[in-house]
Amino acid sequence: MSSAITTEAVPIETAHEDMIHEAQLDYYGKRLATCSSDRTVKIFDVVEGETVKSSGHTLKGHTGPVWQVAWAHPKFGNILASCSYDGKVLIWGERSQGTVGGGWTKVKEHTLHTASVNAISWAPHELGAILACASSDGKLSVLTFKDDGQWGADIFNGHAIGCNSVSWAPATQPGSLIHPQQPGTQPAAPFKRFSSAGCDNLVRIWGYREDTQSWVEEETLDGHTDWVRDVAWASNIGLPRSYIATASQDKSVLIWTKDSPTSPWVKTALDPSTTPGVPSAVAGKFPDVVWRVSWSLAGNILAVSCGDGKVTLWKENIRGEWECVSDMSS
Amino acid sequence: MSSTNHHLNLFPPLIQAGHAEQFIQSGKTISFAQSPLNQSHAVFPSARQDAPSIKYSGVEEQPIFFASSETSPSSERRLFIGDTSIIFAALQNLTNTAQNRGQDWLQSQETHNVIRKLTLDYINFARECWIHTSSQDSSQFSGDHYRSLYTCLSLFAVLYVPEYGYEDAPVGDDLMEWLNVHFIEPSTEEGDHLSSLDHPWEDDTFWPYLVRVTLRGLSKAATFFLGTLSTHPSDNLRRLAQQLSPLLQSQPHLQSFEAERDFAYASHRWKDKVQALRLELDNVPEIDRHDGTENWWDRLSDIVGVLEGRNEVIRRVCEDLGADWREASVSWGVFTDVRLRRQDLPEVVSQVVEDMPPDPTNLEDMVHAALFSGDPAKALSHAALLDPWLAAHMADLMQSLSLIEKETNEDSGLNIRDFYVLSYSQYLHADPALWRITVAYMFSCGETGVRSADEVLMHVSLRLSSVGTIAHSQEETNGANMKSGDLAGVVKDINATCYEYQREEVRRTICRIAAQSFVQGKEYGLALSYASSAEDWPGLGRVVDRVLQEYISAGPEQFTRYVAGIAPSLQALRMQSGAQGIFIHRLMFAVRYAEFHQRLSNRDLQDAAWDLISMFQDGIAPKSWWGVLLCDAQQLLQYDGTLLFPYASACILLQHLEEVITRTDQGSGDEYLRVLISKLGCSGTTEALHALQGVRLALAKYFARCTMIGTGEKQVAERKFGAVV
Repeated sequence: MSSAITTEAVPIETAHEDMIHEAQLDYYGKRLATCSSDRTVKIFDVVEGETVKSSGHTLKGHTGPVWQVAWAHPKFGNILASCSYDGKVLIWGERSQGTVGGGWTKVKEHTLHTASVNAISWAPHELGAILACASSDGKLSVLTFKDDGQWGADIFNGHAIGCNSVSWAPATQPGSLIHPQQPGTQPAAPFKRFSSAGCDNLVRIWGYREDTQSWVEEETLDGHTDWVRDVAWASNIGLPRSYIATASQDKSVLIWTKDSPTSPWVKTALDPSTTPGVPSAVAGKFPDVVWRVSWSLAGNILAVSCGDGKVTLWKENIRGEWECVSDMSS
Repeated sequence: MSSTNHHLNLFPPLIQAGHAEQFIQSGKTISFAQSPLNQSHAVFPSARQDAPSIKYSGVEEQPIFFASSETSPSSERRLFIGDTSIIFAALQNLTNTAQNRGQDWLQSQETHNVIRKLTLDYINFARECWIHTSSQDSSQFSGDHYRSLYTCLSLFAVLYVPEYGYEDAPVGDDLMEWLNVHFIEPSTEEGDHLSSLDHPWEDDTFWPYLVRVTLRGLSKAATFFLGTLSTHPSDNLRRLAQQLSPLLQSQPHLQSFEAERDFAYASHRWKDKVQALRLELDNVPEIDRHDGTENWWDRLSDIVGVLEGRNEVIRRVCEDLGADWREASVSWGVFTDVRLRRQDLPEVVSQVVEDMPPDPTNLEDMVHAALFSGDPAKALSHAALLDPWLAAHMADLMQSLSLIEKETNEDSGLNIRDFYVLSYSQYLHADPALWRITVAYMFSCGETGVRSADEVLMHVSLRLSSVGTIAHSQEETNGANMKSGDLAGVVKDINATCYEYQREEVRRTICRIAAQSFVQGKEYGLALSYASSAEDWPGLGRVVDRVLQEYISAGPEQFTRYVAGIAPSLQALRMQSGAQGIFIHRLMFAVRYAEFHQRLSNRDLQDAAWDLISMFQDGIAPKSWWGVLLCDAQQLLQYDGTLLFPYASACILLQHLEEVITRTDQGSGDEYLRVLISKLGCSGTTEALHALQGVRLALAKYFARCTMIGTGEKQVAERKFGAVV
């Protein structure tokens, strides 16, 4: 019984003067940050799916289209990062309430990349305020912000031709047995690891070595036949294994799973041809380039946005097969 | 799985129908952002990353749509969700107890009775909600929806949760009761219509009505209308009707017997009587079998055939009456095989549905069919489509009754129950206000559930601004007695939930967020409470640093006011064993330094001077603040009235001044002068050193005054001695 529901979506006028590239809701879903080819970042308060009138802030500082925005964990304060075609990553902070001219100001500028910075991602909060960046100059960089306001940067080669996306591994490994957390006990030390997607059709996994204080490539996921546009590492919600989803120019979405720290990554392609209403779909292929993949906060639901103008939601069913549970089209 | 597919259309549409191709050709696509708050997405048109730059003619609208794959529960639905979550919690308690007391206890009569009671509670709530929503037009779910939940749960109870000890008893009567409660046939209107007629048998509906009430075991209605036949022209019919009535009334029912054997025996005897009636029926001559409007004999024969339990008659009659597979199957258990047991039902149903299949487009029908067929897992998969609520609660009951596989699926890491309960909790998550119930369900679902619940808990909006306001108003009403450190509102709830489920790490993270947020709002007292509640000592240190920063940026008055907010925490923290010294030390300094400024502003200069020296003596003043303290000392040294510092104290000031200057010379200026530099608003050490030269000069003059007055030292020393004693 396929149900077509018309959802009462409330359109929000952003007043951007050019195409929006990304929108991100903050930790509590209360504020929306958008970025655009008009070189600005805008922030709106959102209440019940509507923006509050005259709540918007416009953040100006980039000199090229702004590709992505990312909110830091609120325990570090109200902080937003943005990356742009101008090769810069800007960190914005909200001034304390009550101060004159309260609002957003640029607090840091990261200019080590020599070409467009395409993607940014904050590490799990347990690791501290750490931001990974992916650039068209083929390099990846990791910014670490310290408590005293100082910051450090590691920059290293990621994918020849260009890096498209970064996504952090959860701070704790999956499959570990759950013990009730007692007050006063310390959890196991978290591990710094992230994945990157590139124009070399590969996904690479990087781990930080405390002994050498450097980032080391740990694994390579080779499965796509064209540029990998996006990578998303699922947060550890107690599933028995690690999950990475990748979206590619080759019109496919792969789900990579790893059962234990020592076992290999196993890939499965999402198959839109099993979804009714998808015309002449080839098994394992979407109708167009797949741009974005993103995991839900809880529940392991994967959202996929495809070039055909549709966003589909995928979920592993009780038999462990991936199926499309919902699609949104305009 | 087409049946699980939901398609959402945006309204108003982003792209006009038929313009999708044009939209894609223009180099656009749609993108989205997930909300961490619920199951909603922000959807917006975006540029394809491979598209060459898109040129616009002027300013276009760049709208963002919010769409949700789940609809937030409406008020009546919320009530239903809330009420039934209490029953769920009760069952959860039971299963938790069972884990401690072992499998035997779970299968005991006591436990079974509790599970049965809770099942009946669910049924009652579904019924209440059905009645309630039937009288409302604007309900999110129709009354009919809750009716279907009610029928499914009731059937589940009849088939799978019978009274203790009755698992192996014949089930026919119970099923017939279920059918009669939920699927009323024939209608009361038909009965009313017929009873208003003088010769009801002349009406077209008379015989079908009589056959239907017989089939449903409604002996009272049957007897009544058989009674109306007493004026029928046929002697034979009048006589047979008179004989049939007591037969219908005397059909044995299991509940009237102590032992099943007695019931079986009585049924057997009763069947013999039916047989006797059949013989008499057969003796009616062909000529008297028609009354002008109807062949009454055929109809009466059908009724007797039903009583005889003739399978082919029951099936034909059901088809003629438009009755479905349920009625045919249930009648089997009442007439064909009165000793039909639960475990034999699937066999019977499989025969019936061959000719009378359930309606695959009707989920309620499909759930019923799966339950009748002894396939609980299949019933759940249909129930999930009907309503995630039904699948979750039925699965929960099924697991406690060991009806479904407990083992986890290797791929998904979830067992059947957890899968459906988690699906339901994700449905609940669509409404952030239901977080308490959402996490209660999640926490019952193994590690996956626990981690999901963690995420939900951490994203519950803390609404701290209102907490701050409350604290503020209390502060105003209580005057100087500032109340801080009380956790309030939502945060208190989340804390309690974290304690309940032993999620200490989650609790600490939430406290850290709260602390950070209070710092942002300059509610330093609350920030400190949360930092210490999170046992985040470096974080606590940063809060104190921010307060000290207020001295530099806003001056002593503001600073003193802010310290008043954090001072009460000091006492509590000193008592706390885990608190780390260095950060507490910094807090002590902030408090003492504020006291010093308080005295200065009160012109209590003697005590202020004493405070200043003791901060140096006790070693609680951080080196970075020495310069500031020394500059503060300058005005006290220059006070004309009396000598405020004993000679030895002045020496202490000199020692510290020397250390600052010497160490700055050696290159440690940043360490010693950092705060002073920012306080003076100057650019480097030179100006700071210049200020300290002023202090040195004041000290030199002070020593000169000490020497001249001579007695001054002694007076001051005595005074200090007295104060210490």
